[in-house]
Amino acid sequence: MNAAKPIRTRLALLAGISLLAAAPAMAESLVFTSWGGTTQQAQQKNWAQPFSAASGIAVAMDGPTDYGKFKAMVESGNVTWDVVDVEGDFAYRAAKDGLLEPLDQSKLKGIDPRFISANAVGSFYYSFVLGYNKQAVKGTAPAAWSDLFDLKRYPGKRTLYKWSAPGVLELALLADGVPASKLYPLDIDRAFKKLDTIKSQIVWWTGGAQSQQLLASGEASIGMFWNGRINALQHSGAPVGMSWKQNLTAADMLVIPKGSKNKAAAMQFLAYATSAEAQAKFATETGYAPVNLQSKTKMTPAAVKTLPDQFSASQINLDMRYWAEHRDEIAKRWYAWQTQ
Amino acid sequence: MPTALSSVAVPARRRFRLSAETRGIKLMLPVLLLLVLCFLVPVITLLLRSVMEPTPGWQNYAELLGSQTYVRVFFNTFMVAGVVTLITLLVGFPTAWLLAILPQRWSRLMFAVLLLSMWTNLLARTYAWMVLLQQTGLINRVLMALGVIDQPLALVNNLVGVTIGMTYIMLPFLVLPLHATLRAIDPSTLRAAAVCGASRWQSLRLVLLPLALPGIASGALMVFVMSLGYYVTPALLGGTSYMMLAELIAQLVQSLLNWGLAGAAAFVLLVVTLGLYAVQLRYLGAGRSEMGGR
Repeated sequence: MNAAKPIRTRLALLAGISLLAAAPAMAESLVFTSWGGTTQQAQQKNWAQPFSAASGIAVAMDGPTDYGKFKAMVESGNVTWDVVDVEGDFAYRAAKDGLLEPLDQSKLKGIDPRFISANAVGSFYYSFVLGYNKQAVKGTAPAAWSDLFDLKRYPGKRTLYKWSAPGVLELALLADGVPASKLYPLDIDRAFKKLDTIKSQIVWWTGGAQSQQLLASGEASIGMFWNGRINALQHSGAPVGMSWKQNLTAADMLVIPKGSKNKAAAMQFLAYATSAEAQAKFATETGYAPVNLQSKTKMTPAAVKTLPDQFSASQINLDMRYWAEHRDEIAKRWYAWQTQ
Repeated sequence: MPTALSSVAVPARRRFRLSAETRGIKLMLPVLLLLVLCFLVPVITLLLRSVMEPTPGWQNYAELLGSQTYVRVFFNTFMVAGVVTLITLLVGFPTAWLLAILPQRWSRLMFAVLLLSMWTNLLARTYAWMVLLQQTGLINRVLMALGVIDQPLALVNNLVGVTIGMTYIMLPFLVLPLHATLRAIDPSTLRAAAVCGASRWQSLRLVLLPLALPGIASGALMVFVMSLGYYVTPALLGGTSYMMLAELIAQLVQSLLNWGLAGAAAFVLLVVTLGLYAVQLRYLGAGRSEMGGR
């Protein structure tokens, strides 16, 4: 014991010094939870680290986001997450269920009005785009969602997002000729009827990595993808292309779970993460669009070109409010149709 | 005299056995406590939710059993688990037998291969199968290059893919208990059968299989029950037409936040599984002879 003591003290001292060096006087701290992978790495690098350096508030990373866990935390009163990156429809629904803290709107400046509400502010926004494998597709490149349903011109498997979520029903309706302005409320029967025409050719993807694998290998010749994923494939040299026509946009939102023990620090973090500067850096790295309207002036023209908001003329907003209200009934129909 | 002796000896032996049993239970207390706290309590909470949310009553069970979708998913789950168990048995029995009769050097090597696959990350293994089985994958390419087929076979995103992937993952769970049982079978029983004129098929059917039955039963039950709750492999290798219960429960818990219905689904699955276990205990007496004892 005696012999061990000095070593332990020295170790403790060392640990203390290294902590001090990394973050001077970290009195406060908070936990930021997101979806993991390259997106969360970019959030850590471009939001959390500079925020800690400027404010002295340590930001610990956790993840992936899990709505079940989120709900359990708030219900049990044992909330260990302070800022959480969630999908748009969950943000609306959680607000309705009383799972979220209200946000201090005076601290949030320059946010695109589409991506801010009483309890949530945008994290970044992305598009579902039409992606295709250039080797598997012959003739003119597919452009509109109707091409996804054209088995004659573009034969082969098509890959779509597996779960009941905004996106697939919308693109089926658009392909069937429903104008973008008349999408909501969704005509679910019509959407399923359209999807029936390609059902035997659908391979479902459950996550971003799988969608990339399916397309890059040519297993699927065409499909719907998160734009950042196609972006990454192109950077890696895979023979894939994408069409921004009728791209379907949705935002991830940042929220503070009800009962967070570091509300003030969390609010400061939100203000920083959604600032023009932090949003610009994140967008440059990931290809996802900033939610701050001033961010583009802080980005290089080349980086701006890859963002979903370059294609706002052909952009269609997924209605998260509609989905938050109808998610359960749609889910029932969705799984009934899928398992048929 | 002998009668008097035995009447003294028997209670003594019984007393000894009893105290050994109570000692065993005391030693089990930490495990029991852990199970109660970390398993039983959460399970009961979940069950309570299934009859309390959103309002008290049986509506979750009514919805579950009244909906064609959920019934279909239940059916899929048991069907897939059954098919996987059957194929695992067909592959696993010869494997376990080989392990039991091979010289030690070779059986050790086989064991190492078997265990190594078990220790590799599940997700990585499942993705590996995806890459192997897909239309542009290794298996289809080789078969097409050899001229065996001219159209790629649909090996993934359907029942075939799930069965292949899950059989591979479940194999060790059958082979290990079965191997223990087979090792404990006295080889001279087979020799005796041969001496008595039994053909190979007869000694397999009349001697080896009955003796191995406890191992087969406990291994098969383990595989079947584990398959019932499987999530990753069916989600990645299966299409949606064979969606299994675990996938649906995960959706209900994580994304639809319908914990009442999720609790009901989990409870029904639990009851059916426990029922199967009870049947096995009753008719096959698993546990008594599973780990090589006879």
